[in-house]
Amino acid sequence: MSNFRLTLERRQQVSTLRSAATYILGLLVGLGCGVLVLLAAGAPASTLMDDLVVQVFFSARGLAQTLTLAVPLIMVGLAALAAMRLRFWNVGIEGQLWLGAIGATLVANNDFGSEALRLPIMLIASALAGAIWIAVPLLLKLKANVNELVVTLLLSNVAYLLLQHLLFGAWKDPVNSFPVSPRFDDNEQLASLGFGNLHSGIYLALAITLLMAVLVQKSRTGFYIDVIGHNRRTALATGIPVTATLTLMILLSGALAGLAGGLIVTGVEHRLTQTIGINTTFSGIVIAFVARFNPLAILPTAIALAGIYNAGSTLKVFYGIPDAIVVLIQGIVLLTLLMVQFFRSYRVSLLRRTPPQTARQIT
Amino acid sequence: MEQFITHWLGSTPAFAIPLALASMGLVLCERAGVLNMGAEGYMSLGAMTAAVLTLTLGNPAIGILCAVLAGATLALVFGFAVVVMRCEQILAGLATMAVGLGIAGVVGRSYVHKSFEGLQPLDLPWLDQLPLVGQLLFHQDILVYLTVLIGFALWFLLEHTRAGLKIRAVGEDPASADVAGVQVQVQQLLAITASGALCGLAGAYLSVASSSIWVDNMVAGRGWIALALVVFARWEPLKALAGAFLFGAIEALLPRLQAIGIPAPIYLMNMLPYLFTIAVLLVAACSGSKKGMEPAALGQPYVRQDRH
Repeated sequence: MSNFRLTLERRQQVSTLRSAATYILGLLVGLGCGVLVLLAAGAPASTLMDDLVVQVFFSARGLAQTLTLAVPLIMVGLAALAAMRLRFWNVGIEGQLWLGAIGATLVANNDFGSEALRLPIMLIASALAGAIWIAVPLLLKLKANVNELVVTLLLSNVAYLLLQHLLFGAWKDPVNSFPVSPRFDDNEQLASLGFGNLHSGIYLALAITLLMAVLVQKSRTGFYIDVIGHNRRTALATGIPVTATLTLMILLSGALAGLAGGLIVTGVEHRLTQTIGINTTFSGIVIAFVARFNPLAILPTAIALAGIYNAGSTLKVFYGIPDAIVVLIQGIVLLTLLMVQFFRSYRVSLLRRTPPQTARQIT
Repeated sequence: MEQFITHWLGSTPAFAIPLALASMGLVLCERAGVLNMGAEGYMSLGAMTAAVLTLTLGNPAIGILCAVLAGATLALVFGFAVVVMRCEQILAGLATMAVGLGIAGVVGRSYVHKSFEGLQPLDLPWLDQLPLVGQLLFHQDILVYLTVLIGFALWFLLEHTRAGLKIRAVGEDPASADVAGVQVQVQQLLAITASGALCGLAGAYLSVASSSIWVDNMVAGRGWIALALVVFARWEPLKALAGAFLFGAIEALLPRLQAIGIPAPIYLMNMLPYLFTIAVLLVAACSGSKKGMEPAALGQPYVRQDRH
């Protein structure tokens, strides 16, 4: 047996420098691996910078598309953040997004409300539908302590089946019988900003991000959230309204995911389709995690990810690289960021084994 | 009617086997205290690997073997992240899920929609001639029999062997297991790798045995259903096997109903397994019995120095 052994020690205090350094290191390693994967998949190195950065952020057309894609990503990022700050695992963001899209379309199909108010009613309906969809796992969690992870996941599948039931049945487009809903009227669409496909939904996304920042960083509720997130028992013992805070934030999480669906159908698609929500749960979690659960940091993170999605569709068209590469890159970045946290949270040291005799004296 | 039932039950394994293999793998992993959200990714990787190798080499056996290895390797990456680096299990699982889905999509790109000669059903001599049950029970491919065998082997391992006791001890109370001399990290890594291998096999079944083709998004959420099945089965391998056949039978019923022209709201009926699982979760939570419940240390990273 060797005379040395490795020990692992939890760091009691982590300096800001160490935090920042490990985070940046992880991000760089992750993105570096992502670039290597892109090259391995056949993206030409000579134009990679142009495809990944210049075209999606510094050309008018590319930037417009990136920002358009960023709107729902900001919303799902905030939805993931609202739940994860409380350590509530909402892995059903996709389902709440589907419900939001369905809610908005329900209003449009049935012409609820006056024509002038139709659009706001659609967006409110989408937020409500998302909140209702997450109310089920929330209720089961609060009343019967059922694991929210599995329930949110299952309800995501149920939501997608509901969507298919509607699109292949009652809501089928009567014009051509495709499984998409009839096109929305003009008053049911968000105003175009005349910059590519970009729509006024981006203002809403920005405003909600600011409100969220105030809520979690400046308000009393934000303080409650921090305490509950760190230690639920302590929060209960000190009389913090745990159930009320949890209810508020989790419903908010569902509502934001639902609103993301509402913004996609009213802003871009102008009808309900089967493809808008795919992978949004994972993207939301990646955005919230990379943004370190900071609402304002959600904005650049979501825009950066939208840029990668945008570049992904360019790479697909020009070099036949499948969309799956974007999921792969997200997975790699998340994994490296998670792994480098080891060097943030733990101290590894090499200790000389204590001879047995001394050990007996100590104990 | 008899023909309907034969067709229905005969097509059940095609739906049930992937769920059974993946959920039994996850049962093993969760009994060792590791919550593994990566199943969907390992299954995709396995399905793609098996299909691509069968297409290029023409030998399904090699394809299936490599799919098992691929699933195990990706799971080992997850294991390194959560067991050695003590990452948050749910997030690391989701990350490896994405890596598996991504690799499957990117590498399998040029092999989509190319059909090949997959695994053939194995006719057991004269047993398959038995009326009614003959074709059902004894006209299946070898993986179907293997799955049932794995189910019983896992049950025996967990409930009746020393190795199984160690795994369960780690999942219930790693600190005590550690004091008793069980190498917590080794047990968890073994369980994680085995679960990845089973998920890889589940994926291989999808591409090589039940469809003989590779298409994008072939796994289509089965990894998530397998994850729910684990809870549905109360963390017991044989119940997971039975649950998978129950879910598989429901899934297999729908195309049959359509085939004979019964107008059924298929999408609504497809919701039933999910709603049923939620109901089971609720009943289990309300009944308050602690027996056969979730492993106590599920999802918590173990650091020896945290021991009290």
